[in-house]
Amino acid sequence: MNDVAIRVDGLVKDYVTGPPWRRSQAVRALQGVDLAVDRGEVFGFLGPNGAGKSTTIRVLLDLLRPTAGHVEMIGGRPAEVGPALRARIGYLPGELNMAGQRTAGEELRYLATLRGGRGTDRIAELAERFTLDLDRPIRGLSKGNKQKVGVIQAFMHRPELLILDEPTSGLDPLLQREFLDLVREAQADGATVFMSSHVLSEVEDVAGRVAIIRAGRIVDTDDVRTLRHHAGQLVELRFAAPVDVEEFRVLPGVEDVVADGDALTCLLRGEPDALLKTAARHHVLQWSAQDRELEDLFIDFYRLPVDDTLIASEEVAAHGR
Amino acid sequence: MAADTVASRRSGTAATAAPLAVFRGVLRSRRRSLLLWSLAVAAVTAVYVSFYPAMGEEADLASFVANLPEGMVEVMGYDQIGTPGGYLNSTVFGILGPALLLVFAIGWGSRTIAGSEEDGILELEATHPVSRAHVYLDRLLAMWVGVALLAAVVFAVAMLLLVALDVDLAASRLAAGTVGLLLLALAMGTIALATGAATGRRGLALATAAGLAVVSFVADAMGGLVDGLAWLTTVSPWSWYLGGDPLIDGFDVPGLALLATLTVLAALAGLARYRQRDLGV
Repeated sequence: MNDVAIRVDGLVKDYVTGPPWRRSQAVRALQGVDLAVDRGEVFGFLGPNGAGKSTTIRVLLDLLRPTAGHVEMIGGRPAEVGPALRARIGYLPGELNMAGQRTAGEELRYLATLRGGRGTDRIAELAERFTLDLDRPIRGLSKGNKQKVGVIQAFMHRPELLILDEPTSGLDPLLQREFLDLVREAQADGATVFMSSHVLSEVEDVAGRVAIIRAGRIVDTDDVRTLRHHAGQLVELRFAAPVDVEEFRVLPGVEDVVADGDALTCLLRGEPDALLKTAARHHVLQWSAQDRELEDLFIDFYRLPVDDTLIASEEVAAHGR
Repeated sequence: MAADTVASRRSGTAATAAPLAVFRGVLRSRRRSLLLWSLAVAAVTAVYVSFYPAMGEEADLASFVANLPEGMVEVMGYDQIGTPGGYLNSTVFGILGPALLLVFAIGWGSRTIAGSEEDGILELEATHPVSRAHVYLDRLLAMWVGVALLAAVVFAVAMLLLVALDVDLAASRLAAGTVGLLLLALAMGTIALATGAATGRRGLALATAAGLAVVSFVADAMGGLVDGLAWLTTVSPWSWYLGGDPLIDGFDVPGLALLATLTVLAALAGLARYRQRDLGV
């Protein structure tokens, strides 16, 4: 038995739409994706919307067939092994839709029958944990409540591999924490978790490593800590009196220092020690440090122009090729 | 020790879907709709059949028909309206029965795969341990069972009333008409399902099957009316169903065989494509 849960090599996916007599030009959604997820790790799969996260995931689940490239999972290739492979996987779709007329309980029990009854015994326990009313029809459930159904069906049969596409969307902070606990439990139980997000902060608490996909290509695979270090924090300080910018500009790990009257903003990478000590020499009125969004990270990782229109047109070009 | 139990729980005993799991799930969620449709079909059948003693047997209807243009009599199949078989041929089995069953079958057929796919409902099912062929065949079978139930309702209600009203029509004639009706609806419903499964487009599935049903009805009528167009009745599924006047002359085996063949071929073609293509794009 090997130690790799998911191995993707050079995965290319072209979409062709329309009837045979009016085929659209192929759109290349994935340009050669490479991934290696080890057994037992929690792996974050990050990228902006439309970068190819869901497409990659849908190939893993055999909803889409690869145009080129190689996909190998715990028990073999998705298209060859089929049901026996999916029996060992729990999947939460990025866009979750369920038939409206069933109640949450009926839906979960139905999905369990597709797993030969596996997981039925955990429905009640998980529903209680996520405060989900099993007797209400899916039709009347809020987005968050539907998402709970999705989370429960993915975890209830204790799968070896969890593939979760934007799992925390729609969950309130309390339930997000409950969800992350579930992920940790699954990991402690020996499961591998592969979860996507467009926000680093959603996965950084549980994920050991992350891969970043952009315009159909993996642009970086790294430790969360390393990545966080690269991303840095946006620090804003307000002093009782204007301060000298030069004093801060020379500090280690501090970049892009901008002073505006008595306010000072900068980008902090690494330890905040030097910055704090320097700031403490003055009278500090206000202090805030914010983790930067992933989008900002892309922009600086690849030194792309910050101009939105340029990024948009570049993405269009990448998609249209 | 603990690691062992973890390992044993997490591997080896991969459980896949039981046979007919999807089939049962579909029928379960269609219970209400099936009941309502059965009631509607039963009501329509009952109304028509119970009017026969008042309309068909009395000379009134025959004289009314005699005054109609010949072409119309031909199209509506009114030429034999004075006999029980002829009456049923042109009423329950001629218009409203097939219309209801076709709407039901084509609606179900286009919704069950393509509709679910467009609504995104199919994704969860398809990513469970159940093969595409399993999903396809279970959903096909469920639709077939639904259509068969309605056909059975038509037969049962008609038979019951014919006996109760003491109308003289052999059960085998009624069975011949019912089997034809069943196969016509199965064929069109299967074409809808297969088209939907092959393309993932519900609208296309609906239009293809409904269009084919209408065209074959028109072809049957034209073929009977216009001498030079008689060949139309050999290619029209509607003619395969009613062309042999099953309620008067009994089972039209070649016609039924053609309908069954069409059904099976459509089902196989849809399955072949459904297993290959990308889902939910």
